[in-house]
Amino acid sequence: MKITKPIARAATLAFAAGITITAVPGLAQTVDTARIEAGGGNDWPTYHGNYKSYHYSTLDQINSSNVKDLQVAWMHFPGRSTRGVQSQPIVADGVLYYTGSYSRVFALNGATGELIWSYFPELDDALVARQTHSPYNRGTAMGDGKLYVGTVDGRLIALDLKTGKPVWDTKLVNSQKVTVGFTGAPLFAKGTVVIGSQGGEWPGRGPIFGVDAATGKQKWQFLTAGGNDDDTAAKKTWGNDSWRTGGGGGWMPGTFDPATNAIWWGTANPGPLYDWSGTDYMTKGARPGDNLYTTSVIGLDVDTGALKFYHQELPHDAWDFDSAVGEFISIDRDGKQLMVHPNKSGFIFVYDRKDAKVENVWRLVDNINFVKDITPKGELIGRRDFTAGKQDEVLCPHISGGVSWNSGSYDPKNGLYYKLGQEWCMKLNVVKTAAITEPQAQLNIGANFSIAKPPNGEISGHLDARDPITGAKKWEVRFPEPPLSSVLSTAGNLVFVPDARGVIHAYNSLDGKELWSHNDGTGHQGGIVSYSAGGKQYVAVVAGFGGMATDDYSTQFGEPYKSMPKDTGALIVFGLK
Amino acid sequence: MIRMIVTACAAVFLLNISTVAAQQAPAGGEPLDGETLFATTCGWCHADGGREAGKGPKLAASERTDEFIVQRIKHGKEGAMPAFQGTYNDEQIAEILKYIRGLKDDPG
Repeated sequence: MKITKPIARAATLAFAAGITITAVPGLAQTVDTARIEAGGGNDWPTYHGNYKSYHYSTLDQINSSNVKDLQVAWMHFPGRSTRGVQSQPIVADGVLYYTGSYSRVFALNGATGELIWSYFPELDDALVARQTHSPYNRGTAMGDGKLYVGTVDGRLIALDLKTGKPVWDTKLVNSQKVTVGFTGAPLFAKGTVVIGSQGGEWPGRGPIFGVDAATGKQKWQFLTAGGNDDDTAAKKTWGNDSWRTGGGGGWMPGTFDPATNAIWWGTANPGPLYDWSGTDYMTKGARPGDNLYTTSVIGLDVDTGALKFYHQELPHDAWDFDSAVGEFISIDRDGKQLMVHPNKSGFIFVYDRKDAKVENVWRLVDNINFVKDITPKGELIGRRDFTAGKQDEVLCPHISGGVSWNSGSYDPKNGLYYKLGQEWCMKLNVVKTAAITEPQAQLNIGANFSIAKPPNGEISGHLDARDPITGAKKWEVRFPEPPLSSVLSTAGNLVFVPDARGVIHAYNSLDGKELWSHNDGTGHQGGIVSYSAGGKQYVAVVAGFGGMATDDYSTQFGEPYKSMPKDTGALIVFGLK
Repeated sequence: MIRMIVTACAAVFLLNISTVAAQQAPAGGEPLDGETLFATTCGWCHADGGREAGKGPKLAASERTDEFIVQRIKHGKEGAMPAFQGTYNDEQIAEILKYIRGLKDDPG
């Protein structure tokens, strides 16, 4: 599985991949673990802002009093935006880095948008043509003088932060065999770059990798389906050796907790997506048992990859409500060090940061019926485990989830958590299928289905302002179609929500009153950040629609989605007049 | 670009067609019928088993020719549908086509 290409190939790769360098920034300072930990202020040095994962900017030059004067400062078009733009930009020392589809990387002057360098990796196009969750890319990581990006053909590439030239290019996944690769951003911590593979309904074992940032050599691997080779206990949770095709994976970046030296990562679902075991899921069906470590939150030692702790949010996930959301919010309260993590189902889990013991569970969305409830201790009550055939009652939420893979935002100043929820359901017909692994792996769904309205209402979305620990709601804003992008809050008492129709909204973070909006011209489904360059604050958001969740919008909602292109997008950057 | 990908895929397909056919048995070892193959790989996008439009078009009562459907399954459509010719052989694609042609059209 692991093939490390010689670093000496870097120069050749630079030409093959089509690098453009028009200027050298020269201003970049060292970005290391300490700087990311302290992150914030002028920068946004890692996917989630800093290791606390607040998606919050301490800048307040743009605030509730003057946001009405916000306007477009500059734009950038990545081109070849198949299935839109889904990237979360990152920023350091006035330089903004972001990706387009096919892992095209751009370094731009944060004040002007002027290109500093770009890098377009050469990908296996025949493989990309076979993939379902592709060719989008969701971002990069920086550290140790390099920028790191994954590719859908299973590589992790390090680029020189100042020049964009490849430093190393490591093949981690045999994507030509298992068909999946990397779409999520990596995480940098303590000289290790961590990245998780796609998996889920794809019959593999869903590896997460730790790679030496200096050399590109793989340091460790953690297999989310059945654990590593010596983990016999985890394999016993998969009847009939079904761990061999178990899926799993961890395709969104989690975070790093310096106190425990652990990376927190969310794992994806087991395959097939839907099981036909009925209530005897421990002994019957496609994958009898709890199916460790799928749909789990895991803590891995960043240096060795050793499993330090875990909690399986949904034992034997039979609904594809996985734990792959990479949002892990560190909050200290009442003497406790807590970690908040949204499960795809719309339940929010609160953990003790030292060992992933469940401290509370609360629900963000109304329409949940795959269980009657999950107790504050994390126990599932009244599970719906299907047998094969058409299900009489709709399943809620829809397969696109009660929450998206994108992130909410926590404002430490007012203690509110801003999170988007999605209200929708699905008609489901469970079909017995078999995993296909030869000649290449193929996805294993195990069902036919279609989107459906909730039993007591219309499909909708909502931005909630809640207490992140108890779930107590302060205010909400409703949307006719679920927004799917990340959310940004700032010290200027603002919350920014880029919606699905293409409008970016700014709300007063204290009461939800809309203060400003701007039409970006196409739907949003990616990241949003704020930073400072040249003494001025900016808000940067990606627009560009298309992908597994958004592709349903045209049929379900009609216009403007029916006419919305799925092969375009842009980075739009706002500043005050 | 699509033409280049299709050409490359077709070349690989021709080279490997005999071995592909021999390797097609899934993990369970049983030959799979079109309905099962559809629910394995197609049902996420072609809603309600192809009876409704979803991410992909409704397939029941499709006016597309058999040749068009077979070519689309083999080669996919960039950004919208994956290519399956590396996974499924002609016999299996014929099974999927048979399933699609057997879908009852329900306008409601």
